[in-house]
Amino acid sequence: MDTDFSHLDDESLIQQVQQGSHEAFAAMVNRHSNRFYRIAYRLVFNKGDAEDMVQEAFLRLWARPQLWNPGKQAKFTTWFYKVVINLCLDLNKKKKPLDLPEDRELADRKPGQDALLGIHQEQALVDGFIKELPERQQLALNLCFYEGLSNKEAAEILGVKVKALQSLIMRAKTTLKEKVKRHLGGGSI
Amino acid sequence: MNITLKQFKENLLVYGANVHEWPEDIRQAGLKALETSSEFRALLAEEERFERVLTTRRYEEPSRDLAERIVSASQPKKKKVWPSVVGFFSELVWEFSLPKPALTAFSVSLIFVLILGFAIGFANLIGSVSTEGTQTDLQEFLYYEGEVL
Repeated sequence: MDTDFSHLDDESLIQQVQQGSHEAFAAMVNRHSNRFYRIAYRLVFNKGDAEDMVQEAFLRLWARPQLWNPGKQAKFTTWFYKVVINLCLDLNKKKKPLDLPEDRELADRKPGQDALLGIHQEQALVDGFIKELPERQQLALNLCFYEGLSNKEAAEILGVKVKALQSLIMRAKTTLKEKVKRHLGGGSI
Repeated sequence: MNITLKQFKENLLVYGANVHEWPEDIRQAGLKALETSSEFRALLAEEERFERVLTTRRYEEPSRDLAERIVSASQPKKKKVWPSVVGFFSELVWEFSLPKPALTAFSVSLIFVLILGFAIGFANLIGSVSTEGTQTDLQEFLYYEGEVL
């Protein structure tokens, strides 16, 4: 049977999944796997782990689709972001803390000469600074700045009020801005 | 509605450097401030540079077959179906449309062959045991004789 699910919204699709439709599940995976991979990658900093987390989240959805309750959760994606994020945070807790990359040490030793830093080193620095942020600030930044979600949706995912979410973003960006200025020099920003 | 430098700075952090995407109620005030003050423009330029640095963050695209892999991992594994004798015969009947007498004759002959096979196998087993017994008796006999001598 070849059913076209493209006209269905997520909530209708998940209801079909709840009725046991594997095709609806496949349509859901095709529609959203890349989106959830992005947030997973931003949290676990590794392609293989990010793919595993997304796969695990979808397999859990397939095994227990009733966990999504349309009465409680307004949007499927909001709920599923929480699932993926929780899996990623659990994985990060299990993993040993990663050492700072060599590029980071170089920048620490020679502030001011950073105009010479290559793009690779700059990437490593930014990653390092973000890793150092408190978990909730990282999440707020990832959801709003990198994923482009609205403050309201990000707040719902994190289970906080919009004002609290905005405060998290402001603190995250202010800290990052200071670190970037210090390590990459005032010319960068 | 006017906006202060402090408010503008906070909005830049919260909503980003693209003022056109700010919420409607503060967007006009932000754009107006940018038109009138170089201080606001300097703040915006700084935020844009900062966001450019943030976007240099490393990112790897997912594997092309990620979705396919997930879907295939979710498919229920097919149970191995062991062929049953009854199933085999019913399939045989259905496949060749065998009439019932023919099936009965076939079954009877098969049972006969099986009984015959068991009988032959059983007879061979008895024969080989008795040979072994003879050999053992002979060894015992020889050993006994040697000791006496």
